[in-house]
Amino acid sequence: MLLSSVVIILREVLEGSLLMSVLLALSWHRGLHLRWSWIALLFGFLGAFLYASEFEKVSMWFDYVGQEIVNASLHVVIVLFLTGFALLDQIVEKGYTKTKIIFMAVAASLTIVREGSEILLYLSGFLNNNDILPSAILGGIIGAGIGLSVGALLYYSLTYLIPAYARKVAYIMLALFAAGMLSHAVTMLTQADWLPSYHVLWDTSSWLEENSLLGQLLYAIMGYEATPTATQLAAYITGILLLLVLPKLVNKFVGLYAKNK
Amino acid sequence: MSIRIRKFIFLKLLWLAYISPVSATPEFKIEIKNHLFYPAELTVPSNTKIKLRIFNRDSTPEEFESYELNREKVIMGNSQTVIFIGPLKPGEYPYFGEFHPKTAQGKIIAK
Repeated sequence: MLLSSVVIILREVLEGSLLMSVLLALSWHRGLHLRWSWIALLFGFLGAFLYASEFEKVSMWFDYVGQEIVNASLHVVIVLFLTGFALLDQIVEKGYTKTKIIFMAVAASLTIVREGSEILLYLSGFLNNNDILPSAILGGIIGAGIGLSVGALLYYSLTYLIPAYARKVAYIMLALFAAGMLSHAVTMLTQADWLPSYHVLWDTSSWLEENSLLGQLLYAIMGYEATPTATQLAAYITGILLLLVLPKLVNKFVGLYAKNK
Repeated sequence: MSIRIRKFIFLKLLWLAYISPVSATPEFKIEIKNHLFYPAELTVPSNTKIKLRIFNRDSTPEEFESYELNREKVIMGNSQTVIFIGPLKPGEYPYFGEFHPKTAQGKIIAK
């Protein structure tokens, strides 16, 4: 019981914690206030509580696939806000501070809504079971502790690096998060039968199983999937293009335009 | 027959062709009771889309999860849900209840 709740809570906390650390490190390198993270946490927890308490109703929407539709939408919206932030951050280095901060806060708080609601639903199952509840909560605290520590380690490593290098690492990580989120959104929509389903493209589970420790870590960092479909792969590539290539392209055009003027 | 009516019939046929495969998706039932899946082994046809209807008869939530099927979904206590899977190549696809992984285990066999 203890071990399984450590694993479940760790998995959920890790994703949010890593995303938050990367965004905080980017803010730090740009000299932005880090206070937005408290607001993101507050709204994230409130949203997670609200979503978990309405979960039964949401699950019944659209002929019992409401859960998939809401989760997929959350992921798509998170990626859109991350893309918006990346565009602003790379094109207008100084200025638009408030907008940048709002974009980061929305992306972070929606991630907390998604992951936090799942933790609340998990723990809610043990509320009436006094034998198991203490070990579930203890496991949760340990899991959350490990997840937050990994995030803190990442944040301090990124702030320690020289800015240009840190920003490169941070953007690669954001792109992998976005790719994983879009690929997950596609899986959700396929599960709901809103997108057509196809055979899997390849199977790397004999090399690296998804439920192994490394597999789980890679899932949190880059949405590792041992048996992806073509639609998932397309979504994954879209995520990387949005965060890594689009800002560079737009930057180039803005530069050309400024030159010609 | 006027062109308009012909066009209407054509569109109607197109619409029927579009909706009929959806309604023909075979449906299978799985139940969760005392953190166990019934049936623990479910045989389904391979290479076709399947609709799973899962009933959670426990009062606590469970998460249906399968790495092999790429599926995960929380099912609240005393409720039901729908998960689409496949098309699957012939083989065995284990799944488990993430909230009670020690007891809640099952397998889908595609033939």
